[in-house]
Amino acid sequence: MAESIKLAYFMAVKEGTSYLGGLLVTDTSGIPLDFRYTEPITPTHLQGILYGKSLEPHLKEEVIQKTLLKELKAPPDLFILSATELAGGWSGDTKCPVLAVQKTQDTPLAKAGAVFRVGAREVLLQVADGAAPLRVLFATSVDAPTQEQTILKLLEAGYHMDLAEPLERVAAALQSLVMKGS
Amino acid sequence: MFGKVREAMADAAETLRRAYSGLAVVDVAPERFRARGHGSPLLAIHPLAGLESLGASALTSRLLGEQTVAVRGMEVPRAVLHAESGWARWDAGAEVVRMAPLAARLAQSLALPTLPERLPVHGGVEALGRPVTHRLTHTLPGTSPRRLAEPLPRPAIRTLAPSLRAPATRTADPVLRAPGVRRSLEAVLTFAVPILAEDIQRLPKGLWMRYSLQLVRGTGENVRNLEVLGLFRIPRKGVAELHHDARQGRILVRFEAAAVCAPRVPFILARRKDDGAMVSCFVEGA
Repeated sequence: MAESIKLAYFMAVKEGTSYLGGLLVTDTSGIPLDFRYTEPITPTHLQGILYGKSLEPHLKEEVIQKTLLKELKAPPDLFILSATELAGGWSGDTKCPVLAVQKTQDTPLAKAGAVFRVGAREVLLQVADGAAPLRVLFATSVDAPTQEQTILKLLEAGYHMDLAEPLERVAAALQSLVMKGS
Repeated sequence: MFGKVREAMADAAETLRRAYSGLAVVDVAPERFRARGHGSPLLAIHPLAGLESLGASALTSRLLGEQTVAVRGMEVPRAVLHAESGWARWDAGAEVVRMAPLAARLAQSLALPTLPERLPVHGGVEALGRPVTHRLTHTLPGTSPRRLAEPLPRPAIRTLAPSLRAPATRTADPVLRAPGVRRSLEAVLTFAVPILAEDIQRLPKGLWMRYSLQLVRGTGENVRNLEVLGLFRIPRKGVAELHHDARQGRILVRFEAAAVCAPRVPFILARRKDDGAMVSCFVEGA
C-alpha cells in the first residue's frame, strides 16, 4: 500500500555561526506525519579550527542527521535531501536509501514510470505523463538493487505528490523557527 | 703814473731790506744751557763707529758712587718647633656638657651576668655517622671531661631532580555534542501541501462508475452538470483550507493536526457547469 511508505526529508541550514537541522516525515501524499528539528548547535572557535573544512559536513551528517534519525520511532523508507548536500560527499550511513530528488527541464520520457539511467548513481524518472522528468541522485552507499527498489517507491509516491516539494517546506519551517527564536 | 708808483714800491722795498739786513748775531756760551749734575756725572751716550756685533754690556751706574752693596747669602730653612698653648688652654678650660636626659641613665648601674663556672659541652663530632669515642685529654677550668658520643643529627638532604616535570595538560573536548531535538508538527502544518490528482483514466471502470454515483448522491447535482476536476486522496479529517490549482491540476491543502492520523480517502473535486461553483465530496469511507 502506498500509505505504508514514509519519506524523510532532511535539511540542515547554517544561521550565523549556528547550525540546525530539520527532518520532515511525510506519507505518499506529502502530508506531514512528523517533524523534528534540532536546537541550534554552535561550534566553538577551537572546534572550528580543529575540524577545519570538515566541520560543516561532520555537523550535518554525523551530528544533526543521526541525532534526528535516532528520535524517530521507525526508520523511514526513503531519506531524501538536497542535491547540493548529497554532492558534498554524503556517505549515507543510514538504514534507508539516501537520495536526492531534483526537478529538471528535460524532455519528458516516453510515458509515466519510465526510467532513464544517466550514470551509476543517477537516473531520470518520469513520474507523471507530460511533465518534465525528475533527476534522482543516489548516495554512494546505495547499491544497484536498492536503487531499483527505491525507484519503484518513488514512482508510487510521485503519483500522488510532488517529490521535491517537501524540502521547501522544511526550509521554510526552519526559517520560521529561526525567526521565532531570534 | 704807474712809474711813480713803481718807484715808490721800489723805495719801500729797499727801505725794508736795509732795515733787516743789518741784524747782529750774538754767540751764547753753551754751558749755560747744560744740565749740571750734583755730585754725579751725567749719563752720556758714546757713539761707536762701524758695524759691531750686538752685545750687551753692563754699564756700571755711578749713581751709587763708590758704595759697595753687601750680598747676603741664602739661609737654609730650618724647622722650628713651636708649641701651641691653645690646646692646653682648651684642655684645661673645656667643660663637659652632660645632656640632661642621658644623665639619669648614665647614673644607673649596669649589671653584668656572671660567667658560668662550667662550660656547656655539646654533642660530639660525628664524622660520617661514626661516633667519636675518644675523650678529651685536657680539661678546661670549670669544666669536666665528657664523652662525645652523641651523634650529630644527620643533615637534611635535598634532592634536585634534573628531569623536567611534565606540564599540566588541559583538555578541550573537540567532540561536537548532539543537540537537543524538538518535535513541532505545527511548524510544518502551517504550510499548504500540494496534492496531485490521480489519473482517472487509470482507474478501473467499475470503480470510477461507483465514484461517480457517490458524487451525484453527495452533491445532489446532475452528473451532466458536473465537471470533475480531479480525484485526490486526502485525510478525512483535519482539512483547514483547500485551494484548486487548475494550471497544474492539483489542490493546495492546509491541514490541522487531526489530519495526521486520519485515514486517506478518495476525494472528488468538481465544478458546476451552469454557475461554475465548486462542489466536492468524499466518495468512499465517508
